[in-house]
Amino acid sequence: MDCGTCETTGPVQVMAPQVVDVNLTISVKAQEMLGDAFGDDRSMALLVGVLSGGCSGYMYDLQIVEETDQVCQEINIDGFRVLVPKASSHLLDGIEIDYVDRLMGGGFKINNPNAESSCGCGESFA
Amino acid sequence: MPRVAYEDAALTVWRGKDALQFIDGLSTNKTIGMVKGEIRRTVFTSSKAKIIDLATVFHMGEFLAVITHKSQLEDLLNHITPRILDQDVAIVDVTSRNTFGVEYNCSNTKVGLFDTFDGETFGYVHENYTIIVASLDANREFPRELGEFNEWRIENKIPWNGYEISNKYHPLAAGLENLVHPKKGCYIGQEVLVRMASRGRQGKKLVQIENSAVAEKSVTTAGKEKSLAIVRDSNQ
Repeated sequence: MDCGTCETTGPVQVMAPQVVDVNLTISVKAQEMLGDAFGDDRSMALLVGVLSGGCSGYMYDLQIVEETDQVCQEINIDGFRVLVPKASSHLLDGIEIDYVDRLMGGGFKINNPNAESSCGCGESFA
Repeated sequence: MPRVAYEDAALTVWRGKDALQFIDGLSTNKTIGMVKGEIRRTVFTSSKAKIIDLATVFHMGEFLAVITHKSQLEDLLNHITPRILDQDVAIVDVTSRNTFGVEYNCSNTKVGLFDTFDGETFGYVHENYTIIVASLDANREFPRELGEFNEWRIENKIPWNGYEISNKYHPLAAGLENLVHPKKGCYIGQEVLVRMASRGRQGKKLVQIENSAVAEKSVTTAGKEKSLAIVRDSNQ
């Protein structure tokens, strides 16, 4: 098998998605829950990303981080630092981060106007 | 053992720390946990669980070598590359550096592994057949006449790309149910496949059938006396 280890073969071209200036909102309930999670330390940031996979092809990825290797847009929403990776900005523009308070299936939810469909658990979208 | 050319094969090299996870997240079989020297097959499926392509993943240590199909490569890349986002995955097409063949009617004891010797890499993907990848430098040529190979496939109910394995069918109908992992995490098309499996209603299935007993439109591989066909499951 010749796997091209001499690196003379060019990579498959990947269409770089257009980077957009992301607008996002955080519901009052989600802000309360984030406030509990962050405490008084607002140096931390909420990373709102997208991973491939899931039933519908993309999965949301929410993390509280100090910093990230990903190239991100930083948005300040009511005192919360929010980081959105530029590579997935086109998928996240216009989202609302909400919090659903129920025993089953509760937690942070993302309402995404860009999603054509989403799976039952709400973690995956297309 | 008889050999035949695998002319539609395509070979891509996938590098990056996220490559295995990336494949796992978009296909039916579990690839997480593979180690160097292992080979595993998985199916990329659409949201309706139709086959986009069958992939054979060789874990080469530093990278993955993935055999897919030339006829499906553009569709496959259109499906996967928008989902790379900023994950560490880089894909290089090295098809033109290699020739591909199949050795069949064998009794493999090392299914799930591969060996390399004498310029050829042998991927033991099935008990009864092996995929061979030879670099161009090895000057290998494989017979192109498919008649005997297809008769063997019919006798052993082996699905093949362009026949049973096509975007008209889902993996369960195409005889690839062993590549649909029952317990792995979510992937595109999973909800459809899990629903079919849990309800015991997969719609169609691959059968080996006497030529006189099947409608021609259902035949996927026509043989001299028997054929492979994908027919509606009469038990449902």
